[in-house]
Amino acid sequence: MHAEDIDMLALAGYYALLVIPFGMMLWLRIPIIGKTLVAVIRMTAQLLFVGFYLQVVFRLDNPWLNTLWLAVMLAVADLSIIRGCSLKLRRFIFPLFIALFAGTAVPLFAFVGPLLSRPGLMDAQYVIPIGGMILGNCLRADIIGIRHFYEAIKNREKSFLHALAQGARLGEATRPFLRDACQAALLPTVATMATIGLVALPGMMTGVILGGADPMTAIKYQIAIMIAIFTGTAITVILAILMSVKSSFTWYGTLDPHAFRQ
Amino acid sequence: MTVMTPAIEMKDVLVRFQGKTVLNRFSMQLFPGEKVVLTGDSGLGKSTVLRCILGFVVPDEGRICIQGQELSTGTVWTLRRLLAYVPQEPELGNGTLEEWFKAPFSYRANLGLRKNLDRLPELLQSFALPRDLLRKEVSTLSGGEKQRAALIAAFLLDRKMFLLDEPTSALDRNNTNNVLEFLSKVPDASILAVSHERTFLEIADRIIELCPAGEDHAR
Repeated sequence: MHAEDIDMLALAGYYALLVIPFGMMLWLRIPIIGKTLVAVIRMTAQLLFVGFYLQVVFRLDNPWLNTLWLAVMLAVADLSIIRGCSLKLRRFIFPLFIALFAGTAVPLFAFVGPLLSRPGLMDAQYVIPIGGMILGNCLRADIIGIRHFYEAIKNREKSFLHALAQGARLGEATRPFLRDACQAALLPTVATMATIGLVALPGMMTGVILGGADPMTAIKYQIAIMIAIFTGTAITVILAILMSVKSSFTWYGTLDPHAFRQ
Repeated sequence: MTVMTPAIEMKDVLVRFQGKTVLNRFSMQLFPGEKVVLTGDSGLGKSTVLRCILGFVVPDEGRICIQGQELSTGTVWTLRRLLAYVPQEPELGNGTLEEWFKAPFSYRANLGLRKNLDRLPELLQSFALPRDLLRKEVSTLSGGEKQRAALIAAFLLDRKMFLLDEPTSALDRNNTNNVLEFLSKVPDASILAVSHERTFLEIADRIIELCPAGEDHAR
């Protein structure tokens, strides 16, 4: 049993459904029509490009090419975090790349290696979709965590400086902010884990079922991917914040305004 | 004759924010055991003086010495441990007041001072704060309670140099007198306070008035 292929013309016709949300936006004068239109065009172009590219990647199934693909995904995620958090590119590109790499690689290779016992760690069929899911969640968690961390320090500057005045080292003064930021970044995954299966069938499970697998196999994959996502987000968010701290504070322990884009 | 090393010395300190001069070649000395009050209209950089001494604002020019040691990236973390700071309208964060008092003693620099927490009941009494306040969330405290809590926290850390930024602005006359009486009794304490309170000015050994032109007058 395999998933039914979708005819390109039929898919083009399916876009007609978008008349409903666009109609709603027009009627309520929600001012994001242009933005939504760009998002739909980008989604189509990006996915088509990835689709064509993945066909080649899957056909060749070359470990080096798969590694390169993962590296490109990590670099794009890295740049998205820097843009999403208004950080200076040169200061943060390397530490955030390391944080994303660690958050993605640890659960991914534990998944493909010990869990699936695949002979090749870099099989395109597993590494690319599972790596992509973990990385997508790491990206979201890093943006939430980093923004939360620096905004809290800016908003509660007095309390932060008071801790420094009371003798705290930088790590000690930032600890309460790190704790709050990690909590904010992890909460969405915790909430998803608590309601998964009851509120919605997750994407991974739907994909495996559509691919023709037994629902129980799909559920086992889903459980493993949730553990992978939760572990990956925990690793990446704490590393991202800790590694960014070095680039964003002055030697006096105060926040360096030059670390952020205006 | 021996020359006494100032507890705090600022020499020709120039601070600019976004092109505006906040402190214009400001100089002052605070000697051990001395009580100096900084006054002047708002916006003249009184709080900036304290923030410079703590290393929170880095001067564009000039130098700051604490007990003869120049404040720099290499010394700031050690020199800060000699200072007790009470900010204007202190922000105490989250948690109960008791947790807030205990937090600084979890810092490596203060681990050896944990025993000072035994003085907490006595200090609460001196500053007319009820003991059951310790169980209250800090976010629910009044401005005056926060100010007195910040003062108590400063005394618990056993430091000899106090930087006080309008420490009694939210206190009534009785509580202000309590605080001043307490401050005047702390042995060997060097105090640099920003204040407009008349009673505060009365206990000062010296008053430095900040003026817009940067010509500061000592009385």
